[in-house]
Amino acid sequence: MTIDATTPRFEFRRAASVGEAVQWLATPGARVHAGGTDLVPNLRRGLERPSIVVDIGGIAGLAGIAWRDDACAIGATVTLARLAADARVASTYPALAEAAAAVGAPAHRSAGTVGGNLCADTRCVHYNQGAWWRGAVGGCLKRGGDVCHVAPQGRRCHAAFCGDLAPALIALSAELDVASYGGVRRMAAVDLYRDDGAAHLALLPGELVTAVRLPPPDGVSGYRKARVRGSIDFPLAGVAIALRVGQRSIERAIVAVTGVGPRPVVVGTEAIVGRRVDDETAALLATRVEQSVKPMRTTATPAAYRRQVAGVLAARLLRTLAA
Amino acid sequence: MSSSIGAASAEASPPRTVGHPTPLVDGVDKVTGRARYTADLPHADALVGMILRSTVAHGTIVGIDVSAARALPGVRAVVTGDDFAAPYGVIPIAQNEWPLARERVRYRGEPIAAVAADDRASAEAALAAIVADIAPLSPVFTAQDALAEGAPLLHRDKAGNVEREVAQDFGDVDAGFAAADLVRERRFHYAEVAHGQIERNAAVASFDPERGELTSRSTTQVPYYLHLAIARCLGLDRAQIRITKPFVGGGFGHRVEPLNFEIVAAALARAAGATVRVEQSREDSFLTHRGRPETDIRLRLGLRAGGEITAVDCEVIQRGGAYAGYGVVTILYAGALLHALYRVGAVRYRGLRVYTNTPPSGAMRGHGAVDVRHAFEALLDEMGGELGLDPFALRRANLIEPPWRTANDLQVNSCALAACLDRVEEASGWRERRGKLPRGRGLGLACSHYVSGAAKPVQWSGEPHAVVNLKLDFDGSITLLTGAADIGQGSSTLLTQVAAETLCLPIERIRVVAADSALTPKDNGSYSSRVSFMVGNAALRAAEALRDTLVEAAARTLGVAATEVVWQGERCLVRGTDRELDFASVVAAALAGTGTLTVKGVWTTPSEMQGGRFRGAAVGSTAGFSYSAQVVEVAVDEETGAVSVEHVWVAHDCGFAINPLAATGQVQGAVWMGMGQALQEETQYHEGLALRPNFLDYRIPTIAESPPIDVTLVDSLDPLGPFGAKEASEGSLHGFAPALTSAIADATGIRLMALPATPDRVLDAIVRRRREARLESMRANRAAAAAGERTNP
Repeated sequence: MTIDATTPRFEFRRAASVGEAVQWLATPGARVHAGGTDLVPNLRRGLERPSIVVDIGGIAGLAGIAWRDDACAIGATVTLARLAADARVASTYPALAEAAAAVGAPAHRSAGTVGGNLCADTRCVHYNQGAWWRGAVGGCLKRGGDVCHVAPQGRRCHAAFCGDLAPALIALSAELDVASYGGVRRMAAVDLYRDDGAAHLALLPGELVTAVRLPPPDGVSGYRKARVRGSIDFPLAGVAIALRVGQRSIERAIVAVTGVGPRPVVVGTEAIVGRRVDDETAALLATRVEQSVKPMRTTATPAAYRRQVAGVLAARLLRTLAA
Repeated sequence: MSSSIGAASAEASPPRTVGHPTPLVDGVDKVTGRARYTADLPHADALVGMILRSTVAHGTIVGIDVSAARALPGVRAVVTGDDFAAPYGVIPIAQNEWPLARERVRYRGEPIAAVAADDRASAEAALAAIVADIAPLSPVFTAQDALAEGAPLLHRDKAGNVEREVAQDFGDVDAGFAAADLVRERRFHYAEVAHGQIERNAAVASFDPERGELTSRSTTQVPYYLHLAIARCLGLDRAQIRITKPFVGGGFGHRVEPLNFEIVAAALARAAGATVRVEQSREDSFLTHRGRPETDIRLRLGLRAGGEITAVDCEVIQRGGAYAGYGVVTILYAGALLHALYRVGAVRYRGLRVYTNTPPSGAMRGHGAVDVRHAFEALLDEMGGELGLDPFALRRANLIEPPWRTANDLQVNSCALAACLDRVEEASGWRERRGKLPRGRGLGLACSHYVSGAAKPVQWSGEPHAVVNLKLDFDGSITLLTGAADIGQGSSTLLTQVAAETLCLPIERIRVVAADSALTPKDNGSYSSRVSFMVGNAALRAAEALRDTLVEAAARTLGVAATEVVWQGERCLVRGTDRELDFASVVAAALAGTGTLTVKGVWTTPSEMQGGRFRGAAVGSTAGFSYSAQVVEVAVDEETGAVSVEHVWVAHDCGFAINPLAATGQVQGAVWMGMGQALQEETQYHEGLALRPNFLDYRIPTIAESPPIDVTLVDSLDPLGPFGAKEASEGSLHGFAPALTSAIADATGIRLMALPATPDRVLDAIVRRRREARLESMRANRAAAAAGERTNP
């Protein structure tokens, strides 16, 4: 691999245990490395200038999928390829398997990990550029500048979180194990994210996501992703739904959307719960999704399309899941 | 040209080498990694060359202070625009680009200074220490802005920012429209696209201060033009320069003109008196650009009820970017290739090539003609529908029958478009399936054509269009020396086949040495699909000359007349006897007294193929046009706007496929590249700054959305092509986009007037149509209600 002119120098440490990793990660400017599919391109472009990079790929105990009845714990360094190919994951949590299979291209999935996809950096067409390019526009609010080129009047970074797994895990009511020097805390997957593209993860220095815990499924689930190409592309919008339909009507629905803002958006489903799944209900959900998401011009594809297509995907997925 | 001996031996046996699928002679080197591309060249002592780019779109260079950079440790050379003797440009009449900007910068990303240093860190530090004082001027980013009254001028000698205005009229256009039963006019818009060649740009230049000699190795399609540009820009004698071309990983037109980085590498090498390596990023490729320009087209066609085209009125505006490049040729191609695909009645063409503060556009596969072909075929499809004509019937009503001379003096010597139409009609099941597919599915047809080499090279020198040397030595091996640049298209293999066939020898006896100015005859380069036709013809003639020499030597040894020798390559016989001579003995006889043999073959395009006498007539002229027809099947998701290409059937008249394996691959590649432009590829600028200078945002198709592409190669045995061959790698590109949009129209009723057909554009068009339909029915209801009120007061 050619290393870009701007690639920073840093210390690369391989952690042997979670304890070692979180101790090193407490160093200001430390970054985690597992599959490297998100971090390495950002390093090459000089977007990240870490003091140390802590590799967690060698830590025993982070690379397993463990079942207890129909509940599941997935280690942070389980690869997306493995997750996508796991038959029990696919039958128990279809949304998760579909999301894993939709990430990047095969090469990304064989290297990329569950933890990495959850903690991936936010993205913006004004941010994911080379050093000369960003210099030409004076940097941006997220890095090296004081203007957001997406919304120049505002003081907020709109860079979008584009991970595929997060909406699936949110819909499936997953929790995360977050390790630190002080021990392990557990948080709902949805609470990992903040509404700020420049600081979108609610993790403290020295904290590391070590596992994802899924409760037994409560109904059916699925994930749909809009993108221009059939591979490689990040989602223009990605929709996950977990759905329980009773004899006649929807009893429970969780809908989460990725790629449309700094954090995954959880869409209120009060309007469709209690209704039977028909065209009208699907249209109602589409409208709710379109009202809930506010993509900005962070991609070359127009934001209005991302909003529209998120609604379409949600409506379609609802009908498919109820069929 | 062909000797009687040659004719006799050709009768004796069917083709053994040409016409057979032949793996590329350099294929094993490539797949095993043995092939060395420019960046792989082992020059451990090379300095690191780096280029500083302007962040300003348009501005006056007040000064560039390099003194601090020069003083830094490890820095061996710093150069600016002042270090060059002259500007460059591939067209001799339009050389207005400096390798490093002088006086003015005209686009964001324009090179303004360069350094050579011991290592990368020192080079980076030096770039950072250069102080560029640039006083901003108002920029113009679109053709519309550049053409506006009072717009700032990019070049003092180009009023209105117009690089070239073309006005061509052939026949009585007004009478043509008057004779038409249906006249329609439409406007089209095409995004700018880039080549996406996989190998990034790189150059390794060495300067020997004692001898004053410069050697350059770089990623070029045109070593000869680079040779001229380096001589010109550095003020060197051409004899002091040696250009070699290592393996090249694709070009598609990005590299058909000399580019700034390779001239800069040469200047740094001279300044440092050393070897300098410049390796560029993907972003650099996009900033260097030379892609297909953003284009606006207004097209008006007149058709008779039976489909005959009576008149064409076409206006094309191309946003050319900051410098001339190939611009003049591009805007002329757009008009010239309105002709020669169909009989088109009278033609009016107006073209405007416009300067803007964006990276320079250039030549790209299907040079100049791709967007116009979309507009033409799309409008034909729409009008055919109005006339109740099947798209095939409409094309068949306008077929050319060769020999044919077009109104703009292009000569068509062979054309199998009719056979191409038959093939794809049958293969796609058109008659059974068209109109009977489920909702959202559709079939579309389009035709296209392209030149087999520009009949007048841009550097007109009076030399033949192509020269090949064959060297035969004591070991019985034959070295084919050619300046032609194999950039992955398979030209070295094709030339080997041509020589082997003509000499009746196995291809293993022949090795190709290509593109080294110290060894190989000059060649204009790999562009305009010229190599198979022109260099192929030169190789054919060289091989014939060598065969004649060998036959004469054999005749001498055997003591018979040359006409009595039956040449079979590895051996030859005396006609009607069992007396024979093996190849080694023939070689020994041929070399006796003379030593190593070198023979030459040349090809010159006949003058009647070199175009007419009007201004710009040379562009479009060629000795052979290829023809292509293709059917595209799509599935359109009317809720998301996503278009999926399900299948492509393409038939390409390449005259004769010398290497069907390579030709099939080239046709598939052309269709696929057309698909990228039609579906999803586009550059985009944010205040003149390239917004998609990477392969994540510049969305070249992946294999996931690539359809099966069924290729039929159709023979037409061109009277001038080598073994009847014509071009195979560009002509099928043009047809994809219009076949796609016609298929979308078949599937949904929507006619896209702007490309690429990204999901957002398609969905916009669908939503717009729904809105119009609602409005229409509302109006109809109101009218009905009003009518009701009148009748029932």
